[in-house]
Amino acid sequence: MKIILCSSSVPFVNGGYRNIVDWLVTMLEQGGHKVERLFIPQVDEPDLLFRQMAAYRWMDLSAADRIICFRPQAHFIPHQHKVLWFIHHLRSYYDLWDSPYRGFPDDAKHRRIRDALHDADTAALRESKKIFTNSQVVSDRLRRFNGVASEVLYPPVFNSQRFFCRQANDEIVCICRLEHHKRQHLLIEALRHTKKPVRLRLCGTSATEGYPTHLKSLVGELGLGDRVRVDNRWISEEEKVEFLAGCLAAAYLPVDEDSYGYPSLEAAHSSKATLTTADSGGVLELIRDGVNGCVAEPNPQALAEAMDRLYTDRSHTQAMGKCAQDRLAELNISWDHTIDRLLA
Amino acid sequence: MKVLIVNNIVPFLWGGAEELAVHLQHNLEVSGHEAEILRIPFQWEPATTIPSQILMARALELGNADRVIALKFPAYLVRHPQKTLWLLHQYRQAYDLYEAGQTNLPAGSMGDDLRAFIKRADDDCFKNCRRIYTNSEVTQQRLATYNGFDAQVLYPPVNDPELFLGGSDDGYIFAGGRINGMKRQHLLVQALSLAEKNVKLLIGGPPETPEDERQLRETVQRAGLSDRVKLDLRFLPRKTYAEYVKHASAVAYLPYDEDSLGYVAMEAATASKALITTTDSGGILGLVKDNRTGWVAEPTLPSLAQAMNQVGRDPARTKAYGKAARELWLSFGVTWEHTVEALLR
Repeated sequence: MKIILCSSSVPFVNGGYRNIVDWLVTMLEQGGHKVERLFIPQVDEPDLLFRQMAAYRWMDLSAADRIICFRPQAHFIPHQHKVLWFIHHLRSYYDLWDSPYRGFPDDAKHRRIRDALHDADTAALRESKKIFTNSQVVSDRLRRFNGVASEVLYPPVFNSQRFFCRQANDEIVCICRLEHHKRQHLLIEALRHTKKPVRLRLCGTSATEGYPTHLKSLVGELGLGDRVRVDNRWISEEEKVEFLAGCLAAAYLPVDEDSYGYPSLEAAHSSKATLTTADSGGVLELIRDGVNGCVAEPNPQALAEAMDRLYTDRSHTQAMGKCAQDRLAELNISWDHTIDRLLA
Repeated sequence: MKVLIVNNIVPFLWGGAEELAVHLQHNLEVSGHEAEILRIPFQWEPATTIPSQILMARALELGNADRVIALKFPAYLVRHPQKTLWLLHQYRQAYDLYEAGQTNLPAGSMGDDLRAFIKRADDDCFKNCRRIYTNSEVTQQRLATYNGFDAQVLYPPVNDPELFLGGSDDGYIFAGGRINGMKRQHLLVQALSLAEKNVKLLIGGPPETPEDERQLRETVQRAGLSDRVKLDLRFLPRKTYAEYVKHASAVAYLPYDEDSLGYVAMEAATASKALITTTDSGGILGLVKDNRTGWVAEPTLPSLAQAMNQVGRDPARTKAYGKAARELWLSFGVTWEHTVEALLR
């Protein structure tokens, strides 16, 4: 089949939003399909939204048998067989309207833009043959805001068989971008309250220099230099596999994220439990407290208690790591299932 | 610097322009820049949707790039305050091909409106960019003739020149590149019937359609030339292709009125091979000088047969032409280092 994968992008900014497309290209090609990928630049400013929407509308991809669209506003591309794997709305105009993330005034003009966008989105969503999402959170939003039904299709990671498990050391690893909303600072603050000699390894790059600097000075202030390692860089995939294989557990505590996030998935493939928080959103679709990880309240004391438990009750921690693998099967997280559904 | 390379994507087709964009990206990175390729879809049928595709290109927002280097219509119409064109193609069916009667634009006032629309968008873009380079004199001249803009020629470099060094003369004429009617490999085969018996031909490259392959094979068969023409009709591994070039006596390439010098000619010159082409082949004439770097034949069978005969008649002279072709090519000073520097000027 000839398939075009369509998404939007911010030039020169990488992240999970590109991985899901790039990995699917490889998997589809391995399945013998002809695949093209399209990343169209997208800026979310209110005054530029509709002009860009028109651009998507004017694209002619009729050379493909099917298109699969990911990030907005790619879902506006017209096609006789359009399938969506919808990964988020333009959230400032949806669930983040009443939040500091909106970035423009709540006035009559912008409310009209918002309403027009909702109407246009709903129409474009209804054009598609089938809508998949990457999480229950996104499916719920589609139902609530646009009144459309969708099926959750959890995105797998690439080449998951490379992850493995070794005997656990004393380290909790957190491998994701170093950003305030990923809350690595909470992990450092928690370490101060632990009773056991748990260590912490934080790896990732940041969009700004401020947060990594803050993390490092926090480590210094709390005198935790010998127990915390902050690695402010994009580590190699081989390093990632190694760190996860030998760790005690993984940690991932974003603020109300849409999807379960690749970090928790990679930990599961390494048969490791994940430490997360009750307000982390999509992560909670994957992680069940006491089953395949720990769900703590988002404060240093609660996190410290969880860390101590992971350290003390090693056999249970190990058992939770094994359960993490089973949970993936339970949620049908695999490329076979993904491709099966997308091409159905 | 963050440099965004903007090119077309015609879904499921990959060709010279796509390769060029990839190598440009690589060489920008080698020079210490961040580089990314943006591909904008283009579908020229039906022609009536060309205006909306022009608007599409102009409606996109390219924040977050310090520079844009744009290659093809309509992708080069994207708006950016620091845009440099390396023009590989305008929409020729609205310009020279229209005049030649080879257009997909409808006749009458509809066609006239479409042409005017395309030209206005082009003119506006050419007026507002930093600099315009073209990939050949032909593209440069067309731009001057039809739009009245000056440009500088910036030939695309050969991507892997080291592959083409140290060859030999194994006694065949090589015709490389895509196989189709416009590239006229069939003319070479037909001319071979009129040439001396010792002239041999090797044609290697991917047929554009199964029909192109069938026709070429049939032409060889009908002329009874199977023993003098070797066909290797597929997308050749780069190494195989380079071997074919390196061990040829001469290289023939006779596209119909092509815009650029063409990689086939540039690579042959890199390998010190004499060149055969025709008077109506376009850009390649920048590199083929009659009786100096090769032979420029009329696009007729007797004239082509005559040129092919010359190759074997005086091998020393053929070798000297090959050397001259390489010297002429090197005198253009076309390297990636220089190209990147010019494009960011």
